[in-house]
Amino acid sequence: MTSKLKTVAGRLRAVWMLLLVGVVLSVTSPVFLTPTNLLNVALATSVAALLAAGQTYVIILAEIDLSVGSALGFSAVVTALTLGTYGLVPALAAGLATGAAIGLINGLLVTRTRMPSFIATLATMSVFAGLTLHITSGNPIPVTDYDFQGIGQARFAGVPVPVWIMLVAFGVFGFVLARTRFGRYVYATGDNVEAARLSGIRVHRVKVLAFVISGVLASLAGFVITARLSTAQPTAGAGLELDAIAAVIIGGTSLAGGRGTLLGTLVGALVLGVIDNGMNLLDVSPFLQDVVKGLVILLAVFLDRNVDVLRRLVPRRAAQPPARTPELAQHI
Amino acid sequence: MHLQLADVRKSFGDNSVLRGVSFDVGPGEVVALVGENGAGKSTLTRVISGAHQPDSGRLLIDGTPTVLKDPQAAMAQGIEVIYQEFQQNLFPHLSVAENMYVLDRERVFGRLFVSKQRMAAEAGRALRRLGMEIDVHRQVGELSVAERQMLEIAKAMTHELRLIILDEPTAALDEQESEQLFAQVNRLREAGVSVIYISHRLDEVFALSDRVVVLRDGRVTLDAPTGQLTPAQVVTAMVGDAVDDFYPKERNAGDEVVLEVRGGNGARFHDIDLQVRAGEVVGIGGVVGCGRSDLLRALFGLQPLTGSVLVGGSAVRVASVEDAIGSRIAYLSPDRQAEGLCMGQSVEANVSLASLRAFSSGGGPLIGVVRRAKERAATGAVISDLRVRAASPSIAVSSLSGGNQQKALFAKWVMTRPRVLLMDEPTRGVDVGAKTEIYRIINQLTADGVAVLLVSSDLPELVAMSDRVVVMREGRFVAELTGDGLDEQSILKHALVGAA
Repeated sequence: MTSKLKTVAGRLRAVWMLLLVGVVLSVTSPVFLTPTNLLNVALATSVAALLAAGQTYVIILAEIDLSVGSALGFSAVVTALTLGTYGLVPALAAGLATGAAIGLINGLLVTRTRMPSFIATLATMSVFAGLTLHITSGNPIPVTDYDFQGIGQARFAGVPVPVWIMLVAFGVFGFVLARTRFGRYVYATGDNVEAARLSGIRVHRVKVLAFVISGVLASLAGFVITARLSTAQPTAGAGLELDAIAAVIIGGTSLAGGRGTLLGTLVGALVLGVIDNGMNLLDVSPFLQDVVKGLVILLAVFLDRNVDVLRRLVPRRAAQPPARTPELAQHI
Repeated sequence: MHLQLADVRKSFGDNSVLRGVSFDVGPGEVVALVGENGAGKSTLTRVISGAHQPDSGRLLIDGTPTVLKDPQAAMAQGIEVIYQEFQQNLFPHLSVAENMYVLDRERVFGRLFVSKQRMAAEAGRALRRLGMEIDVHRQVGELSVAERQMLEIAKAMTHELRLIILDEPTAALDEQESEQLFAQVNRLREAGVSVIYISHRLDEVFALSDRVVVLRDGRVTLDAPTGQLTPAQVVTAMVGDAVDDFYPKERNAGDEVVLEVRGGNGARFHDIDLQVRAGEVVGIGGVVGCGRSDLLRALFGLQPLTGSVLVGGSAVRVASVEDAIGSRIAYLSPDRQAEGLCMGQSVEANVSLASLRAFSSGGGPLIGVVRRAKERAATGAVISDLRVRAASPSIAVSSLSGGNQQKALFAKWVMTRPRVLLMDEPTRGVDVGAKTEIYRIINQLTADGVAVLLVSSDLPELVAMSDRVVVMREGRFVAELTGDGLDEQSILKHALVGAA
């Protein structure tokens, strides 16, 4: 039960954080708890959340994908350019293919050249950010296709389409991670790549596929952001990789690999979204908003690592079951 | 040093690990500390080395009650521990000399700038004094396990050493290297250093120690001079009741040849011809590095192999792990931490990992939904069959004892229904009780007709559990021993000097 309790607790920690921030904002701002505002939060969260979903796969594998922001920008531009000439469906296909191709390149670099993913994706991040600027000469590309704009601006059953996209993506990829063989292989490979390989898992394929998923979700996020703005901004994705990684970490996924859930990541993304929203509502200087975000990340990781410390700080009520410490583990 | 422990107790939460431990270690005395995994040896080691504080009880050094508040305090008293995972205390990218003097608390080699020449010269002198031949300029990462261990001891002796704890020091050493270590321990004893020697190997305990202290469930169940004891008494004190059948070997060899290798060649083995019949255990003897482990890895697709391999009479490819598993070959790695288990995952996930395809719909290489109910039923059956003791199949496998982890590793491969099982050191780092259970698992497998290739540095185990032993030296089979000709001496003779 321990591991199950642990993952549930991991999720819960982010949930507690979300509730805490939510309660504080409900009290301080009359607007926060209105349906319109909450939908705004979800809408604003959707782009980073999509990136974070793919990032979760990569981080559970004990890798990292720094290129998601660039992949978003590049595929958004490819989509917008294709849209003008060939129409909606080819444009979507081209966008998704671009994201997949960037993921494939990342995956092959990491598995074939044995480059650390931090370095490989740092390089591709730079390459695709530069290519995007080069193709567009730095100018935004306007998008006038009405149907495409719907991806970002329409509503279905009163809920903005990007929120639906986010929910469906998390549903699908959450299921894949939790219930399919591929998902199991992701956890096993991230936990101990040698043991996974010796169990007959093609660990390179697992890693490549995870990077491809990350790239595809980046292009999906690119559709959303382009459709919302009715323009493909060459720099639309700049810095978003950090938001994505932050959401994953706040959601309880371990950078060491082998541990994490997509539900946790969704909550992590919402925590960031709510904080952004709250600071806007409370008129906090945008400069200070990044400071707060950084502190939240520290707090989340601190909570994750130091549950025992907190137990000691909080006065004990009833006897709690002892936390499983490494020392103890050796004797069970 | 004269170390006395008086009624030392230590609990973690509800789990009392030490329940009143008392014993003495005199100066120049080698005390063998034995006990099953979980008996409290590691915790006791940590208490003596200042890493843990006892909840109650006293620790006396030369008659003076002493509190070792941290490992630095213990080191200041001249107490050193060489842990089982000894590599952790060394820096692989630094040289031998730099590792030896990495602390250099007295700033002998300079305050701000360190003189590497003087350091190397001093390290060379120190190693020669100990009779060790290690190039002080080599990077530690390039050293063999045995050399690293010697280095650990040499490093401990760079400052005043009064008590040394050696935790399973021979776990990764071959016979020759172990002999060198024993010589080193004897030298320490002559120098008046107290030694606490932790080992699962009773032959070593009897060859080396002056006194044996047995721990069971956090209590001392035996404390007597080694000369007055028999191995049976020690084992009884460890496990509680008399174990008559330590090696419960069953002979299950049939007639059908299940595994055959013809003209097998690889990087470190040559001209291997081998047949293993259904239910037969063929042991491979030889020193570490003779090619025995390489042969197993090659048969599992982890190293290149030329020549032909036949399973059940038909030629198979073993170019990759997937090939090998597809040919129903399974491989039990000697290093379950690094290559065997995914420690952070659940027992169940580990056990089903190599056979997940059998429990999922959709036959693609990766995609396919895992049928949880089917998986739970199948893993549950094997877990109880192999007596893997886990509070629940969903707890992390890292929370199991070493023996139960090893059984979980067996369970993973039993799930793949292998025809051939390659085992490298199947009982390494496993306590006595679990060893017997693992031998029973081997019996179960052979009764089902599985062909077993067994590599083990534990010679009594190799002799007892094999139907037949082939001895390897420098990559070649040099002898085959069966029946009355199969004993430890013959294996050693062939392994070291070849057929005389």
